Amino acid sequence: MEKTSVKKDIVIIGAGMAGLTAALYAGRMNLDTIVLENAIVGGQIANATGIENYPGFMKVSGHELIDTVQKQAENVGAVIDEFDVIERLELQNKVKLVETANYIYETPVIILATGMNRRKLPLAEEPKYANRGVHYCELCDGHMYQDKVIVVMGGGNAAVDAANFLTKYATKLYLIHRSQFRADEISQEKLRKNPKVDIMLDTEITKLFGDTRLRQIEILDKKNEITKRLDVDAIFVNIGVEPNVSLFKDQVKLSERGHVIAGEDCRTNVEGVFAAGDIREKEIHQLTTAASDGTTAALLAEKYISKLRGV
Amino acid sequence: MVKVYSFEACPWCQKVKKYLDSKGIAYEVRDIELSEEAAEECQKLSGDTMVPVVTNDDVNYVVGFDKAKIDQMLGL
Repeated sequence: MEKTSVKKDIVIIGAGMAGLTAALYAGRMNLDTIVLENAIVGGQIANATGIENYPGFMKVSGHELIDTVQKQAENVGAVIDEFDVIERLELQNKVKLVETANYIYETPVIILATGMNRRKLPLAEEPKYANRGVHYCELCDGHMYQDKVIVVMGGGNAAVDAANFLTKYATKLYLIHRSQFRADEISQEKLRKNPKVDIMLDTEITKLFGDTRLRQIEILDKKNEITKRLDVDAIFVNIGVEPNVSLFKDQVKLSERGHVIAGEDCRTNVEGVFAAGDIREKEIHQLTTAASDGTTAALLAEKYISKLRGV
Repeated sequence: MVKVYSFEACPWCQKVKKYLDSKGIAYEVRDIELSEEAAEECQKLSGDTMVPVVTNDDVNYVVGFDKAKIDQMLGL
């Protein structure tokens, strides 16, 4: 069956905070806007249980915050499609193409806001125990480990927040990290105070053991050069993220770290293509800076479209 | 009757429910956090309490948001 061609003013790839904010601004400027999302609306933030550093909210869940931004964008006419699947992007020409399972979108502007994915546990046994004891979403899978022994791997804010959240299920929780904490002091302190928690820094997980599920891990205490085994039921992996660029990695300039190179104006090296949020190469990747990028990208995209149309 | 084993805060559960809504499919939500009975049913059906789980006959089921498999099972 031939796919239907649809013309849009702006196509936004990714419905995280950057993409949805761009949609909100684009919609308010009466631009015909669609946001396409292959995974979850909200991206990484959809899994956040309590956000306490987003201005205007004392504490808000990722789901609640994103739901509100989605509604704001939809209220001004932006369409958010999270069920169609993006297959291919063609960015080089003046009229850019986005081919999905159902449509071919033609647009002068694309905003890349695909965010980042969690890094996988780099052990040979990972595929065997994925979703069978090795997990990447505390909010989705934490409930499976009520009264069990849980490990959180990682030392950044996301890892420590995950560990704090998972203590509500665990009888015992190990926080294992290969070096020292990078998390905010306030989150670390909360974790340290919990009697269920055992923090193991300068420690690596080196092997997984089990049957149909994960049962045991081997750890290496690097300071004391001791290897030992722990009986555990689950590991929640929080060892960083990597940019989600698979759809367009050969079409825009990427940095050494694999992020899209674009300045504070969010313009990439390809005319009419903007990059917003965590996908953009920059020093600080926060929810607030994602919203800021979404704003900038949409406002400058509108200027670009007006210029193209001679307005 | 289609059943969706899920819980409120689970992002992929929300996605499955929104998808079924978009297709006009009526379904019963079986919340595994609020109901122990629902959690036991889910465990019995799929051998696990990983959610979302969609079933239309309490025998066949799909775990996660697997659109192709859900479409096939529900004849969409």
